[in-house]
Formats: sequence, structure tokens, C-alpha cells
Amino acid sequence: MIKKPQLEVEVGRIRMKNPVMTASGTFGYGEEFSPFIDLDKLGAMVLKGITLKPKMGNPPPRIIETPSGMLNAIGLQNVGLEVLVEEKLPYLNKFTTPIIINISGDTIEEYIELARRLDEVSQDKKIAGLEINISCPNVKQGGMAWGTDPQSTYQVVNEIRKVTSLPLITKLSPNVTDIRVIAQAAEEAGADVISLINTVVGMAIDINSRQPKLANIKGGLSGPAVKPVALWLVWQVFQTVNIPIIGMGGIMDAQDAIEFMIAGARVISIGTANLVNPQATIDIIEGIEKYLIDNKVKDINELVGSLKV
Amino acid sequence: MILNINARILSKKEVAPDVFLISLLAPLIAQQAIPGQFIHIKCSKDNYPLLRRPLSIHRMDKDKGEIFILFQVVGEGTKLLAQRAVGDDLNIIGPIGNGFNIYPKSQKIMIVGGGIGVAPLIALAEKSVAEDKEVRVLIGASKREMVIGEELFKSLGANVDISTEDGSYKYKGLVTDLLKEVIQVWPPDQIFTCGPKAILRKIADIASSISINCQVSLEERMGCGIGACLGCVCKIKIKEKEKNNKVEYNYKRVCVDGPVFKASEVIWDD
Repeated sequence: MIKKPQLEVEVGRIRMKNPVMTASGTFGYGEEFSPFIDLDKLGAMVLKGITLKPKMGNPPPRIIETPSGMLNAIGLQNVGLEVLVEEKLPYLNKFTTPIIINISGDTIEEYIELARRLDEVSQDKKIAGLEINISCPNVKQGGMAWGTDPQSTYQVVNEIRKVTSLPLITKLSPNVTDIRVIAQAAEEAGADVISLINTVVGMAIDINSRQPKLANIKGGLSGPAVKPVALWLVWQVFQTVNIPIIGMGGIMDAQDAIEFMIAGARVISIGTANLVNPQATIDIIEGIEKYLIDNKVKDINELVGSLKV
Repeated sequence: MILNINARILSKKEVAPDVFLISLLAPLIAQQAIPGQFIHIKCSKDNYPLLRRPLSIHRMDKDKGEIFILFQVVGEGTKLLAQRAVGDDLNIIGPIGNGFNIYPKSQKIMIVGGGIGVAPLIALAEKSVAEDKEVRVLIGASKREMVIGEELFKSLGANVDISTEDGSYKYKGLVTDLLKEVIQVWPPDQIFTCGPKAILRKIADIASSISINCQVSLEERMGCGIGACLGCVCKIKIKEKEKNNKVEYNYKRVCVDGPVFKASEVIWDD
């Protein structure tokens, strides 16, 4: 009889039953996917990015399909912190899957206030950790501006660290000269985990009107098109920091997921694939398990960073 | 309940140049779908094109467990869909969206379809007839061979008028001009419409000028189709917040808050 491989992983004190989680912005507040999958089967859920006050988002068109990918410029439309806490989180209370809240701010005070308030309700609302979004390319202030400079990365992570004991994941932007410097700054500032990559900045043009296809002009590229970029950056960060990595960027199936783990990701996040196949996460968990059995790997953790160069 | 299933392609027919009618075996969707809802279709077998394509449910046959889609080939997704073979399985999610709302007290129903916009309106006409409404249909097309659904609407017992932009068939001009004439002699209780945005906007203006409830089925580039990604939004007025003549609005999701909206609530940007 084949013994089932060990799929459990731990990142920054967050224990997960398997290494597959959801990427912020592609999974709503979880409930949207409940007709399609059992949310309890996921390693963890990262919800739609939240800001202190509700945010309207950008005008449409917000999504443009590109070769093997898509550009999005949603602009962080969200219900705001209090509605999240009062109306969205209660639904998730019945699940055992760790809930991670992705936070964004225009100012450092907003990040601090978000972290402080979420820390306050974390026991009651079963919040397992925070993901600090310092890499959103689609909002005017904040967002990516924080994540493209090591000093400001250090500052925002460090200030948040002071107000919460929740595990902190820092989400990095690929739109930088040297991602290793940013990753190091986040680690030194007290991040427990690094997640990468956020989307790659890009644009698309309508040649008839000579206008940008996105109302926001630029957007974030995701999907299979960015996978090689993401994989390389995960491998680079893996060689630089000692804290665990959540890898993401164009993962569509189990093979993609395993590549990221070999490159150094302890956990992987599914983003754009959720939009194409609402049960992509479950398919990928099953695919990873099959790979481990076929390759006689007893424990998923053996894969992490096992790249032979 | 919304389903994610593989539906067998039962038939495929080109009903007008580059316009295809496909029937799918999807009993659970056929049972519960209402006119105006749509399905989100994986057109390709691989990841190119990446995203699904939302197509409204043209008709449903509850007895046979079939649903129909009627679509025009406009890009890579619909091109691949048109090439799919009878007997193939098509991955679809649905039924999605709110659908049209026929008021019980309405007697006279006006249905206006622009081009391929007639697709969801057949199901609507069927339901209206079944509810003993008086149904009048206006179909607008660029030219004669692009007039879709005339016989189908007539077979339901609806009164059908047609406009073509080049005058090659019946009324010459835009369907909105035809509408203006018809409502003079036949003022409806409700107007339902689907088609190009410019036409919807004009119909919304006409309906508003005579204070008739008008419902429009909107289209927007869509990501997930299940309300999660917030990609397919449109501007919808916040009623109670009209101050200083400045209309306030929210972004609503076309996929699950729509695709049908009250025309009077839509802000028609360019």
C-alpha cells in the first residue's frame, strides 16, 4: 500500500494542511468560491486586499486579455476594514483554513491602523496572519511606491511589526532593479514570510483609437506569461533570505506549482488560474500529491529549494 | 445554484455569416436558468486564450435539458468556440447573473435587440408569452443577412418589426428610430434591450423621456464571472445621493450584480 505523502507545511507560525493558498484579489472574500470548492481543503486563503476606508477602484475597462496572460487595473476596490470585519469574516469563521488578510495603505499610519485593528480582532475572527501589500501597481499613492525602495519597505514592515504579533507576510513587487535588496529589508524589519511576485506593470494599446486599452493606462500583468519571471525572482530571493517564501505568478497547474517549490517556495499561491478555473486550487493540491507519490517523495518540504544547479 | 460542468455540444449551426447557434446538454442549468442569465465558457482546451467568455443563454429547453447559445465570432475566443465540434465537451460555469425582471402587472412588453444582442431576448420573449403578456419585438441589424431571430420571435406569437441600417430589409434606419415611432402607437409597460452600448444608451434616453421601466443587459470585459475579481464593473447611480446635481455612483459587477440593470440607474460613459 502506498503511504500518503506528508503535505503539511508551516510558514511564519501559520500551519497549513497543504502548500496551496489563494492570491489576494483573485479569490474575493472566499465565499464567492464556495459553490465550487470546499474551502476547508485549502492550505490558506488570502482575501481581497483591504484598505482602512472603502475604495471605489478604477474606471472600466479594468481587465484586458494579453497573450497567455491578462492585465488588470482594478485599483483595490474593496469594502473597507470595518465591513470586512463585520460582514465578510463571520462567514469564514466556520472553516479551519487559515485566513490571511492582505492590507494596503496610502500612508504609513493607515498600514499601522489596519494592522492594529486586525490584531485586536484576530482571536475572535480567526485571522492567521497579515500580508502587507507594498506592491500594488494600480493605485496612485501607496502600493508599489513602498515596495520599490528598501528604506520605505523596512519602515512600513517595521512599524507594522511594532503593533501586531500576527505573522507578517511581505508581498514584493517584481518591478524593481534588485528584488534581493527589498527582500532583505523586509526580513530585517521583522517580516516572517516573503510572498512574490505581485503583477508586472504593463500596458496594451488599441491601434484604431490609439488609446490605451485599460482606462487606467497601465495595469498589472499576470497569468502564464509572467511565470518565468516569477520563478527566477523566487529563486533569487530564496538564496538571499532565511525566512520562508510564498511563490506565485502564473501558476496554472501542479507542474507549475512544483517548479516554484523546487525554486524555493515553501507555499504557492494561485491567482489568475482561479479566474479561469474556480477549482484550480483543488486540482493543484491533488496534482502535487500525485507527483509526490509518483516520485516517492515522503514529505513536501523535501522539495523546497531542491533545485539542482 | 451556480455550476461548473462539462456540457456536451449537441448541435452547431451557422445561422448568419459568422453567427453560430450551439446547443449544449446541461440539464441542471436548463432547469434553473432564467432569461437574461449567462454562462461563462472556456472556449479553448488549453490556456490560449486564457480567460473564459461570457455568453448569454439564448434559450433553454427544460424538458430536453438543453441550453442554447447564439454568438458572433468577434475574436480569438469566439473563433475557437465556433470551431468546437459536435460531441465535444465544453467547460461552462452557470447560470450566472440576475436576469430580466418582468413585472407581474405589465401587460405590454417591448423587446429591442441590436445585432447579436437578440441572443438573450428569445428566452425573455418565451417567458413573456408564457405569462400571457402582449409582446412586441424590434430587431435592428446592419443589413438583411444579419437579421437574427425573426422567425423564432414570430413563432412565439410576437409582433416583430425590423430595421436595417442600409435599408436592405424593412424599415431603413436605426432600431432606436423605429422604437420612437412604434411607441407612439403602442406604448409598452416595460422595455427590455440588449445590444451595442450606443444603442442601449439611446433606448435608455427614449424610455426615460416617457417614464417607462427599461432594463438593459450590459457587457463588459470579464475575469472570473463569479463576482470575485471585480474586473467587469459599470457605473451605477446611488439613488439617495444626488446632491448639487452631481450624480454619485458605485462600481457594480456586471457578472453578478447584473448583467441586467435598470436603464435609469446606468451612467453611460464613453
